[in-house]
Amino acid sequence: MKNPTLFIRKIWQQDNHVFSIEWNDGVIQNFRLCDLQRECPCAACVDEGTGKRIKDPKSVPEDLKAISICNVGRYGLRIRFTSGCSMGIYHIDKLREGGQCIIN
Amino acid sequence: MPLPMFSTKVASEPQSFGKIDAIVGVAAGKGGVGKSSVVVNLAHALRKKGYQVGIMDTDIYGPSIRKMLPEEQMPFQKGAHIYPALCQGIKMISMAYFRQENEATAVRAPIANGLITQFIQNVQWGDLDFLLVDFPPGTGDVQLTLSQKAQLTGAVMVTTPQEISLLDVRKAISLFNQVKVPIIGIVENMSYYQPTEDVEPVFIFGKGGGERLAKESGTPLLAKIPLDPHIGTCGDCGESLYAHDSKGERLVTRTFEHLANRLVEEIQLLKAERKEGVGSFELVWKEMSP
Repeated sequence: MKNPTLFIRKIWQQDNHVFSIEWNDGVIQNFRLCDLQRECPCAACVDEGTGKRIKDPKSVPEDLKAISICNVGRYGLRIRFTSGCSMGIYHIDKLREGGQCIIN
Repeated sequence: MPLPMFSTKVASEPQSFGKIDAIVGVAAGKGGVGKSSVVVNLAHALRKKGYQVGIMDTDIYGPSIRKMLPEEQMPFQKGAHIYPALCQGIKMISMAYFRQENEATAVRAPIANGLITQFIQNVQWGDLDFLLVDFPPGTGDVQLTLSQKAQLTGAVMVTTPQEISLLDVRKAISLFNQVKVPIIGIVENMSYYQPTEDVEPVFIFGKGGGERLAKESGTPLLAKIPLDPHIGTCGDCGESLYAHDSKGERLVTRTFEHLANRLVEEIQLLKAERKEGVGSFELVWKEMSP
């Protein structure tokens, strides 16, 4: 058991469909909104009992946008998508694993 | 006479007028280790050092702090804003103000969460150096709500020396690790009994549990608080330890002062590490030209 040390240093909108995070260790990652919506963990997107995805990932448009992104405590992000989905909490550990790293 | 229950209307945005330098959760994952006693006496020790202190008693079902820290001024409400009670120089909010002493708060989790959310968003604390949040036992709804909404600077874990206590405190640490709330350190309560300082301490509840937990979690052992009947007597009478020990000569009083010093040091270190963090934010999406 160690103290959690991962945190967000900066977050910003890259374009209409992508945002970026700079982590406290200097790594910068891009996140495409449509990819995150396809992985949304909320109860409307995933059956809590079976773990199966309720919404077909193919139904998520590539040009999906957001209304806003805010923090959930110190551990997650909540994204309000233009699709109406807004209840999923994206844990920062999972975001860090799945983000596309930018190599400068 | 208890206050009437507030309406369930939560302020649409956090309305706290004032700045709170550090919000510290005091938790254990279990009951009976003395969290509330630690919170009250730590608050007194911080006040003695000149800090402005508030207490949020979030144990909706068993709020005990009001007994240990009776008010000179009851809390009151103006519109959606709640002004905390004033208790020996410490501001406080607790479910105890809204119930008769022997009346149970028989509510399910959604209402309990709503009450906690009101405590977090509607209470006007003013400027504080420390807001101590007395967590209820467990690792469920209320603890998650606090972790999501209370903007905790960190958490102090209270344990007693026995392994049976560590079993549950480890679970609470696991929760805080999952929700990225830093563990400030460990407090081992009821650590030993030493009637006078010239005799050997007796380890009634075993020895070393707090140290083991501190090593496992990679966090400091902040203090080992002795068993002292004075804590129970003062708690039952609603008095500070300093009421009968104004110079802080008793071992237990000095231990709480040491704990207060360690808390201040560790929070300064934590803040120095975290000052680069983005903190609480909302990124509003804008239309950008391609």
